[in-house]
Amino acid sequence: MLFHWVLLSLALFSVGIYGVLTRRNAVGLLISVELMLNAAAINLVVFNRYVAPAQVDGQVMAIFVMALAAAEVLVGMAILVMLFRKRKSADVTKMMGLRH
Amino acid sequence: MLMLPELIIVFTAFLVLILDLIFLKKKNTWLVMIAIAGVVAAGISAFVLFEQTGELLGGRFAVDSVGLWFKLIFLVATGLTLMMSVEAFDVRAKGLLTHQAEFLAVLLFSLSGMLFLVSSRDLISLYVSLELATIPLFALTAWSRTEVSGEGAFKYLAMGALGSAFFLYGLGLLFGLTGHMSLVEIASALQTGPALFLAAGLITAGVGFKLTLVPFHMWAPDAYQGAPTPVTAFLSVASKAAGVAVAFVIFYRLFGEHLSSWSGVVAVLATVTMTVGNLVAVLQSNLKRFMAYSAISQAGYIILGFLGNDAQNATAMVFYMLVYVVTNLAAFSVIVMHVHQTGREEIDSMKGLSITNPLLALAMMVALFGLAGIPPLAGFVGKFFLFSVAAKAGYYWLVGVAAVNSTVSLYYYLRIVRQMYIEPPVAGTAPLRVSGLPAVGLVIATVGSMILGVVPVFYERIGADTIQWLASLARVP
Repeated sequence: MLFHWVLLSLALFSVGIYGVLTRRNAVGLLISVELMLNAAAINLVVFNRYVAPAQVDGQVMAIFVMALAAAEVLVGMAILVMLFRKRKSADVTKMMGLRH
Repeated sequence: MLMLPELIIVFTAFLVLILDLIFLKKKNTWLVMIAIAGVVAAGISAFVLFEQTGELLGGRFAVDSVGLWFKLIFLVATGLTLMMSVEAFDVRAKGLLTHQAEFLAVLLFSLSGMLFLVSSRDLISLYVSLELATIPLFALTAWSRTEVSGEGAFKYLAMGALGSAFFLYGLGLLFGLTGHMSLVEIASALQTGPALFLAAGLITAGVGFKLTLVPFHMWAPDAYQGAPTPVTAFLSVASKAAGVAVAFVIFYRLFGEHLSSWSGVVAVLATVTMTVGNLVAVLQSNLKRFMAYSAISQAGYIILGFLGNDAQNATAMVFYMLVYVVTNLAAFSVIVMHVHQTGREEIDSMKGLSITNPLLALAMMVALFGLAGIPPLAGFVGKFFLFSVAAKAGYYWLVGVAAVNSTVSLYYYLRIVRQMYIEPPVAGTAPLRVSGLPAVGLVIATVGSMILGVVPVFYERIGADTIQWLASLARVP
């Protein structure tokens, strides 16, 4: 059973990486990162259940991960809104203003 | 009492916010003074604690001798950054920063995250404090609210979040391998195997994003260039020191004996990081982007300390980190003054600085020579110890690569010196104003970058502390 859960989290993680590498929309990119973080959170809960069922450490950490991921996305969206007002586009492939 | 430095910093951050609310109408330049006073107070309390070590919160928060050195590095970095940031809040500054109180509070929150980071003894607090140190930096990078600033910040955020996802997945695997959250228990339960290598790889990648090691460095030039200049200074030292601190805690405390089987990876990463950072730095024309690549190549030298887990490695690394912080901030003090008073960021805009501001040009030259590693300066001593560590680990080719890279770096640091000393100034260039606080910061940083290498007290003290620290690690069953 543990094997299947780990496989699930690995699959989610891979989908996340794929999304980060291919998404053109900045919001999509943030969602992909979110997927990766959640895959890691699933890992923690699953290991908690199967490896150390007497503790709750893994679950506690999963809750912290959710809160931190929310904080991260919050800052990300704030920056994105600011950027969107200036350039009217959320396309990350067009963020080339800093190349010299 | 053990948590005093952290508590002082958090308290100061809130104090600055509240004082700003109360005295909203006045021009609050003295808020920076309060923030600096808080950092100094935290530094003093950490210094008083120097002989004290112990645990709090059931062993989740622990103070040890090497951790205190890291805390000192973070506090020095933040204090000097605060001093130079006065320049950016000056109403005459080009690219003036707004919301001073919030800026200071966010900077101090990031600092508190870094301080908690070196003291955390389980995976939860390690991860939470790492994020507390990093997330404020994203906001700081976007602070000037221009298009470039936002763009740099978004790239930083996307890459930083990616890195922290890798890091977290690695931590999850460690938890799965051992069933423990406490670093001490994981270290004793850890057994070598393919899964451990996967976890170590993921953690190295995650730390690599923070440390700007080469395959993971893509965000650094953009974020450094887009960020307000004082924030660039902070990113180049404090965020890097935080990366080193995480790597130190994980690699030394957790992997310990297993670290030597990982040294091949570290050697390759160091080689690639130094070489790419140096070669690309040669081509840069923007000062901040140039400093970004210089910082990338410096990260390559610093991770030489992870080639093994001897006391010498740790000592050389912590010492070089301290030297790098003061030297780089000395250079940045001058850059911040230049950028905020002239509004120009190109390297050739520093033309003739030795004629308009001879002392500033001298300080900048000393800092750049320190970064390149010219003998009497601390940068040379620090690099010497790091290279000798690599030689002791048997990586003679790596020492060769590092020495060649130092020579290449001298070439591009000299490009700035050439602009300052050989090119004539543009006619009618007004000299830069040097105001009180930034000047104090510059003097402290420059003196630090000179005496750290000459006065042996620091190195010896760090050395004694690391030996004691490693001995205390070995005693744990």
